[in-house]
Amino acid sequence: MSERLGFEHVTKVYESAGADFVAFDDITLEASPSEFLAIVGPSGCGKSTLLKMAAGLIPPTKGKVQLGGNTVSAPPPGVIYLFQQYAKSLFAWRTVIDNVMFPLEGAPRSQRAELRARCEDYLRQVGLSGFENSYPWQLSGGMQQRVAIARALAADPQVLLLDEPFSAVDALTRMELQTLVLQLWERRKFTAILVTHDVEEAIFLADRVAVLSARPTSLKEIIDVGLPRPRDQLATREDPRFLKLRHHLTTSLLAKGSGHVVAA
Amino acid sequence: MSWRLKALSANLLGLISPASVLCIWETAGALGWINPVLLPRPSLILRSLVDLVGDGAVFSPLLHTIALFAVGYGLACVIGICIGVAMATNQVLYGLLEPLTECIRPIPKSALVPVLFLFLGIGRATMITVVVLAAVFPVLISTFQGVRGLDPVLLETARTFQVRRQRTIFSIILPASLPMILAGMRVALGLGLVLVILAEMLAGEDGVGFRILDLQRSFQIRDMFAWIFVLVLLGGGLMMLFDVAERRLVPWRGRT
Repeated sequence: MSERLGFEHVTKVYESAGADFVAFDDITLEASPSEFLAIVGPSGCGKSTLLKMAAGLIPPTKGKVQLGGNTVSAPPPGVIYLFQQYAKSLFAWRTVIDNVMFPLEGAPRSQRAELRARCEDYLRQVGLSGFENSYPWQLSGGMQQRVAIARALAADPQVLLLDEPFSAVDALTRMELQTLVLQLWERRKFTAILVTHDVEEAIFLADRVAVLSARPTSLKEIIDVGLPRPRDQLATREDPRFLKLRHHLTTSLLAKGSGHVVAA
Repeated sequence: MSWRLKALSANLLGLISPASVLCIWETAGALGWINPVLLPRPSLILRSLVDLVGDGAVFSPLLHTIALFAVGYGLACVIGICIGVAMATNQVLYGLLEPLTECIRPIPKSALVPVLFLFLGIGRATMITVVVLAAVFPVLISTFQGVRGLDPVLLETARTFQVRRQRTIFSIILPASLPMILAGMRVALGLGLVLVILAEMLAGEDGVGFRILDLQRSFQIRDMFAWIFVLVLLGGGLMMLFDVAERRLVPWRGRT
């Protein structure tokens, strides 16, 4: 199951004493069902704010976020957010399995055993079998983010929002987690929206990459990645098309000002 | 060296300073440097203490004190946590209660004991109330700060999982702020103990506080010191229990 998620003329203005501060101006962007969309932009352009609007955590000042046919006004079921700060997003007082079970706790007690078995399977899928009864703070950073991913799977996501989820782990772990998320996405076919400042990560994972400008943020361009799947950490990254896209996107991000960059 | 050994050696290290004080005190007493009537040697006090425990005379006053303290401290923790969470999560309640708590908080609670005698009489109600008043504010303030200081990521996580407000309080907010709540409860433990002893002294009915003052007045200094040793053991024992409870309840403290 997956849903279409769209930003329609979304504007966010922060009111402060004296001058209003325009975070984004009129952004229209859409992720189709089962698409992997990446959003890249210079730091401070409000990428995370955009994602939090999609999650219903922050309301837009103007415009709306549409999920399926509905306007998002509060966190909708099935839209799951994967935070960069995985350690703060996990519940330190719960074991790994109880963290993963968390989204399912509204279910009747009679289903508990079955749900627990399902959650153990999610842990197996993220490579954490045997760590069910550990606590998050006993695990490495990469393993903690895997727990958060397993918990997201337990919530049966139609849309998975990834807010720089791999930027706080080491380079090798990052590649492993990227591959893991791609495998899970290919298996479950949820809609994925990734926010990152890492151009290579965006190209490696996504179907399309949306580029945001610096403040006041607007949508600069959207490129189709078009690289074959399943993607491979070595083969994909060595593909001349990958390098060309990387060149283009990096140039686009490095260009100052809000002027549009000529396509490569 | 294993951590058990390390912990043991740290504990032994901690024993050096009180042991030295006792040794110096004992020696000074034996050499006649201090007046043995006003400050008996620790070995003699210890003997009185052994007698006190031996003939069972220690238990009734001690239980009296512990019971009053436990009820007052328990109430203070429950009230402090409830009001702290309420003030931290509800802006209206914060606006209503903040001025009041800030007015009452700085008052030395010992000053209220005579007032409470007027209204609640000289008895248990006053003693429990005074312990509650002394212990509630540290719990309230640290609960409030703990809840207010929770990382937004944690609360946003709960929201994206569709957790309702009431469940958020019990399954996210309370456990996540437990390290701070316990820090407040630790401060409250000491304050509550001070006030229960003081109230017992002023009420003059029963309990360790009453015993200490009564023995001082009848000039039974050795026994008076024996009761003070009882208090040292009580306070130390409660703190040790607290440490054990804290390690079990928040093993993640300082690791996230």
